[in-house]
Amino acid sequence: MLTYVARRLALALTTTAAVVTITFALVRAAPGEPLLAGADERFVPPETTARLRERFGLDRPVAVQFVRYVANLAHGDLGESFARHRPVAAVLRDALPNTLLLGLVALLVSFALGLGIGVVQAVRAGTWTDAALGGAALAFYSVPAFWLGLMLLLVFGEWLHWLPATGMIDPTVHGSLSAAGRALDVARHMILPALTLALVNGAAVARFHRAAMIEALGADFVRAARARGLGEGRVVLRHALRSALAPAITLAGLSVPALLTGSVLVESVFGWPGMGRVAYEAIFSRDYNVIAAVAVVSGVLVALGNLAADIGVAAADPRVRRR
Amino acid sequence: MIVTSSDADVLFPPAGSTSAAADVAGLVFSRLAELDFQANTVGDSGFRPAVARSWERADSTTIVFRIDPRARWHDGAPVRAADVAFSFDVYCDSLVNSRFRPNLAAIDSVSVRDSLTAVYHFARWYPEQLYDATYHTKVLPRHLLDSIPRSRLASSGFARAPVGSGPFRFVRWDANASIEVAADTAHFLGRPRLDRVVWRVVPDPAAAVAALLAGEGDVTPVVPQAELRARVRASPDLRLVPYASNGVAYIAFNLRGRGGRGTHPLFGDRDVRRALAMAVDRATVVRSLFGADGEVPAGATARAQWIWSHSIRQVPFDSAAARRLLESRGWRDSDGDGVRERNGVPLRFELLLPTTSRARNDAAVIVQAQLRSAGVDMRLVPLEYALFDRRSLRKDFDAAFMARTLDASPASIVQLFGSEGVRQSNLGSYESAAFDSLARRAIDSPTRAAALPLWHEALGTLNEDAPAVFVFSPPFFAAVQRRLEGVRIRPDEWLATVSEWHVPPDARLPRDR
Repeated sequence: MLTYVARRLALALTTTAAVVTITFALVRAAPGEPLLAGADERFVPPETTARLRERFGLDRPVAVQFVRYVANLAHGDLGESFARHRPVAAVLRDALPNTLLLGLVALLVSFALGLGIGVVQAVRAGTWTDAALGGAALAFYSVPAFWLGLMLLLVFGEWLHWLPATGMIDPTVHGSLSAAGRALDVARHMILPALTLALVNGAAVARFHRAAMIEALGADFVRAARARGLGEGRVVLRHALRSALAPAITLAGLSVPALLTGSVLVESVFGWPGMGRVAYEAIFSRDYNVIAAVAVVSGVLVALGNLAADIGVAAADPRVRRR
Repeated sequence: MIVTSSDADVLFPPAGSTSAAADVAGLVFSRLAELDFQANTVGDSGFRPAVARSWERADSTTIVFRIDPRARWHDGAPVRAADVAFSFDVYCDSLVNSRFRPNLAAIDSVSVRDSLTAVYHFARWYPEQLYDATYHTKVLPRHLLDSIPRSRLASSGFARAPVGSGPFRFVRWDANASIEVAADTAHFLGRPRLDRVVWRVVPDPAAAVAALLAGEGDVTPVVPQAELRARVRASPDLRLVPYASNGVAYIAFNLRGRGGRGTHPLFGDRDVRRALAMAVDRATVVRSLFGADGEVPAGATARAQWIWSHSIRQVPFDSAAARRLLESRGWRDSDGDGVRERNGVPLRFELLLPTTSRARNDAAVIVQAQLRSAGVDMRLVPLEYALFDRRSLRKDFDAAFMARTLDASPASIVQLFGSEGVRQSNLGSYESAAFDSLARRAIDSPTRAAALPLWHEALGTLNEDAPAVFVFSPPFFAAVQRRLEGVRIRPDEWLATVSEWHVPPDARLPRDR
């Protein structure tokens, strides 16, 4: 098992290194002047731009910039944000926990929803229930996340006033609340953005898990369990579901990039102060160091997600460990 | 609670570039003197005391400011003349790279006569001296900033938690989420009527309006789309507060070749430019985009500027005259494909436009159809904003759909279309001795009454030369909760009167306290 984990870890590190290199090259190849962020088509004297380029090392050859960037990265130095006038690490420290919190909750909710719906569909395969749930899952899977977010916001925030429409907290009262009150405040604000991400991702999980469950329900060990006289609930939940979980665990790892991508737009719609918005604004203003840092962090998260999934599958299935 | 589209980048006034940064700086910091609601920039009338209790002219190039001895920084230290001189020095420092630095070019120096007297020395006399001395800079606390290297001021701790002398003191900044300031109850000019102001960041315009409709905000400064304005109008809790637009969007023709060299084969010809201007029905464009809310600009100005008038000479919409003019210049559709040509070269050009501007993209499609009916093939080139910006600044375009937010002072127009701006912001490289002379005389006129006809003549000359087609001025409407009273909006600085805004006691919500 340890050899297996070491092998997957090495692969994760290689993937992250590739992400760093490719992002660095792409960002610098993209047209646009990083030091004119906020200039709004305003003329900036060339000598000012030259001085700023020198200060941030952008006047050096790209290869030199890359070596310096990797060396700094190895020391945990992500550089300074041109647009925000802050260390990139501080920018990420503000935004990353918010994205992780939203992403984690969305991931859990989407799997709870997706696995549940997948099981019901498989058990009732070919019935109206299966068709209705399948249609609903296809619909949620097809709609753009930002549109779904706007609709949820319209219904639950603006019309019904049941849930907060925007933000992560209510800034007018949050500071005066108790610890439990503050947690509740964040939880209430998280419902709509997390639900938006969870519905889209959960639909994919449901479609995937339905197929895995149908296959498991037709397997010999399930027929054997039924032959032993076990109740249908026990057969489905103890035997078939357990067997069908391995692909779902893989899917959980693969969902990390989808959730990170989806969060860019969902965070914008709901005013959620996360990394998606930081990335969007950084791309817009060619804030090289922030773009690179977001890519590195995203790469690490995706690699970790895959690693966790691989380990989870290996733990569940000894045959995988032997490969 | 203000719902704003973007977070502040930095709360250090010389370096801030987002609207939220400017909003916060306007409340936390003070100027020497403030413009009154009419935003007059010419002469010495129309300004009210702020950090400076009074001012007087020692001679035509020297203004002496007397600092209000009651003025205090929010940490309790007194505001002194040395702070004023220090602030000017910081704004002019190339290491700080303030975007306001060019506005201070006519000020030679600021000296300190005594602890409560600061003296501004100008290179020459001109009517907007007081405006330049007071409007572009905020007074900064020397005792807190003097020890920080200039190149590090924008990234210092002060820039995240500023100490000013304005009517509100900084409380909290949660990055990407919210900023809070509280009334300075001991402020030397009197306590603001609001206890605190909170900015909440909601980037999406539809979500921002939804937040207001859900009662999660009190005001948002701009409602950009007609369908969103309709939702606000339909709400019993909200109202729209219109204010004069200080924006203008225009199709700039590059009179020189790509890269600003040589002469453009089409737009070097004044008659071709005039014909294109005549072929565009701007009223239809504005009606399509903004309904009854929009306005056709009278030229390179906006309603928020005091020189705005519909009596400014303009090139009228006249498609028949446009066709005649093009034919007189040899542009004819001889092969019947709907596009004119001359010597085998089709009358075709590219229009750059940023993908981020829905209004400009919509307008471009309508203008394209109108020009097509005149036999002109305008090809749209939508570009991601950074690329649009880069190509515009490098003058690498035939025509570009620009948008500008104009200063309160009309002198800024010279940067956009004057010969002195050709190496800078005059991206179409238009040069006219007549326009330059008229604008210079207008800028140097001692009174608005004397300047006004000169400005109108200058803008009329510009319109007739058609270096650009001034397509629309975006309508400005703030959405405001009805319980918020006293809301007046000065276009150049929408929160300028916020100290007068208030919520009546019987309309207060728990979050107001």
